[in-house]
Amino acid sequence: MGSLQLNSLIKQFGKSSDGRLAVADITLEVTQGEMVGIIGKSGAGKSTLLRMINRLVEPTSGSISFDGTDVTSLKGKALKKWRSECAMIFQQFHLIDRLDVLTNVLTGTLGRRYNILNIFKIFPKEEKINALKALHKLDLSNKALQRVETLSGGEQQRVAIARALMQKPKILLADEPISSLDPKNSKIVMDDIKKINNDEGITVICNLHSLEVAKQYSRRLIGLSEGKIVFDGPPENLTQKLSQELYDLENE
Amino acid sequence: MNNILENYSKNYSEQIKKRRFWNIFIVLGLFIAILISSSIIDFNVTRIASGIPRLGDYIAKILPNLDTNLLFANSQIEGSVPYWYFNFKKYIILLYETFNMAVLSTLFGFVFALLLSFFSAKNITPNVFSFYFVKRFLEFLRGVPEIIFAILFVWALGVGPLAGIIAMTIHTTGALGKLFSEVHENADLKSCEAIRSSGGGWIPQMRYGILPQVLPNIISYALLRFEINIRASTVIGFVGAGGIGQELYLVINFNYYEEVSAIILLIILTVITIDITSGALRQRIIKGVHD
Amino acid sequence: MTDKNVISLCPKAFLPLWRRSPVGFLIIILSIVYVGFTIHFFGFSLTKILGGLVNMKPILTAMFLWQDFSTWNFSVIFTGLAQTLAMAFLGTFLATLVCIPISFLASKRIFRFAFLRFFIKRILDLIRGVDILIWAIIYVRAFGLGPLAGLMSIFTADVGTLGKLFSEAADNADTKQIEGIESSGSNKLTVIRFGLVPQIIPIFISQSLYFFESNTRSAVILGVVGAGGIGLQLTERMKAQYWDQSLFIIILILVMVSIIDTLSRAIRKKVIDG
Repeated sequence: MGSLQLNSLIKQFGKSSDGRLAVADITLEVTQGEMVGIIGKSGAGKSTLLRMINRLVEPTSGSISFDGTDVTSLKGKALKKWRSECAMIFQQFHLIDRLDVLTNVLTGTLGRRYNILNIFKIFPKEEKINALKALHKLDLSNKALQRVETLSGGEQQRVAIARALMQKPKILLADEPISSLDPKNSKIVMDDIKKINNDEGITVICNLHSLEVAKQYSRRLIGLSEGKIVFDGPPENLTQKLSQELYDLENE
Repeated sequence: MNNILENYSKNYSEQIKKRRFWNIFIVLGLFIAILISSSIIDFNVTRIASGIPRLGDYIAKILPNLDTNLLFANSQIEGSVPYWYFNFKKYIILLYETFNMAVLSTLFGFVFALLLSFFSAKNITPNVFSFYFVKRFLEFLRGVPEIIFAILFVWALGVGPLAGIIAMTIHTTGALGKLFSEVHENADLKSCEAIRSSGGGWIPQMRYGILPQVLPNIISYALLRFEINIRASTVIGFVGAGGIGQELYLVINFNYYEEVSAIILLIILTVITIDITSGALRQRIIKGVHD
Repeated sequence: MTDKNVISLCPKAFLPLWRRSPVGFLIIILSIVYVGFTIHFFGFSLTKILGGLVNMKPILTAMFLWQDFSTWNFSVIFTGLAQTLAMAFLGTFLATLVCIPISFLASKRIFRFAFLRFFIKRILDLIRGVDILIWAIIYVRAFGLGPLAGLMSIFTADVGTLGKLFSEAADNADTKQIEGIESSGSNKLTVIRFGLVPQIIPIFISQSLYFFESNTRSAVILGVVGAGGIGLQLTERMKAQYWDQSLFIIILILVMVSIIDTLSRAIRKKVIDG
């Protein structure tokens, strides 16, 4: 049920044969409900890999399938449907600063159900209730009508999480969600992500900068270096040597 | 050590020579351009000198003969303000018409320009074909002077404000469309990406990803455009396209001298008032507006 | 958590639009009423517009049927183009020259006479309040039909606009440079020459070039009231209903403006960067 399969994924930037290989042949399987932490230096290919899953970036070759369906060849409505099942949160939150929190969260429904009323910021009552429920779970319902730009970094990321939840996703892709946050807020956000993984059974694939955080929150670590997988297993198995190699990233 | 100094001073004098060459080139070029232009137009001091007195003459004629004692006497008495403005009612109605012409054309031009601008912005256009097509189309609308469109439409629709409003709407669409797409091209695409990643199509991406951030800028441009359109509405009547311009053209041609200054003064006051109001509104908008 | 409880968390979000933001709603309603009323006031209707479009058809077809080239009088047309460019160039150039000292006088930094500044700024406002076309009609009276009147109109209108822009640039200039020269005890002229001028000259040149571009467009329009140039050629042909020649001239105008635009942008880039 619901397993994500990545087969021989390659992403090359640049046209000629000596263009940079951001992702150099990755084969990977993630089962439903797993929480996977991807670690590695900047430029190791973490972000590119994540964005190929929801096709924000097109793979140069290779395939991705979910539950048996080939995702890489989807177009049009089917692609939109797939993207709505894959929620993504970003390092810089990617929220609409000048609009209020509630509207931001409601924009998460635009992939799932969309009609002309949405252009006028009119959303169905039941979606507003869902949005408030999500915000309440994340302890932000009292800020529902505040402009996003007035919120702190940690709060903004949680608004982004609420927006992601509105998609009723099967998978949550988190691209360095805590890299812009201080330690206290990092903990709150990662705790929330972990809770979502536990309570809703949503698969989480999380790019992380910090080895410590990755070890703490995921039972499976994938280490990336220069576009290749150099480690795949539980955190306990991570040797000192490999840690050192990937450890570089702590100093950045 | 000496070598370095030598090289440096050689470099420096070369640069000075280059700069001097360019300066002379530019000054010479300007001089030649001035000579050529002057001969084309037949611009020389004597013609100016003979024209200035006629100018002064005309200005003296159109200025009203106001008698300080009689300033507020009734409109039958020469030398009073009401006499100068005996057509005041007509002017006010025409000014109201002129104002409305500017409002409608700015409003409709704004809507059309906004819709089209999403296609002519390099970073957010849905396909290359629509990009080039819309961009060239907007350039055409903007490039042809309003008054030329006005002449055409007066021909097709008859004398009156409809021709003027359509002509100004067309030109406003072109001008604002270009400005708006430049604003879009400087927009941050992050929230667009977020909506795209959640399965949202192009329209919601534009509506929520781009529109909220560009709104203050585009409203500011629209208000600026309104100021320009007010000025345009005052003169588009010269070709019969409605507004107070039509009356002004008439009184100038019939040499109703004092009416000329009366109307021009009203136009100046209107333009200044709109400029100040619009400027204040623009300041408030830049400070913060809700979607 | 029941729905009712959720709604009570933020009841404002569930209010209908007119209660959530009454001001915004009122503005929208008033605008719609205003537009509707104005359209009625003008007596517009869709039938009128469509009727007009039908009238356009013969004009449009005539525009694309180019014929009788021998009667087109190309030399007059191209002279007209040259006149328009000359008007725009000289007008902008002379106005720039005049506005440089004006901007100094109207700038806070140089002359602390608030009254003089106010006076000059008001005069500039007055000049700008009168559309260039009105100046053109007045100058045609004084200098007769032809491009000289056009030149004077462009000059006058530019003095108004460039005067304001230049004095704002002078106002926003960096005080440090000016104070530096002042403190060395130099007189006003030297302060201007070395403290203010180097900062603002690039801005002046850039604005001038931008207005040269825009003045080329204006110069075309001035022809409509007889102030010479290609505009005059165009209106004459439109009045005589030579629609094919009119389209030709319009295309010429678009090409000319486009060339000036590109040149001006390139030079402005060099000035700001260099």
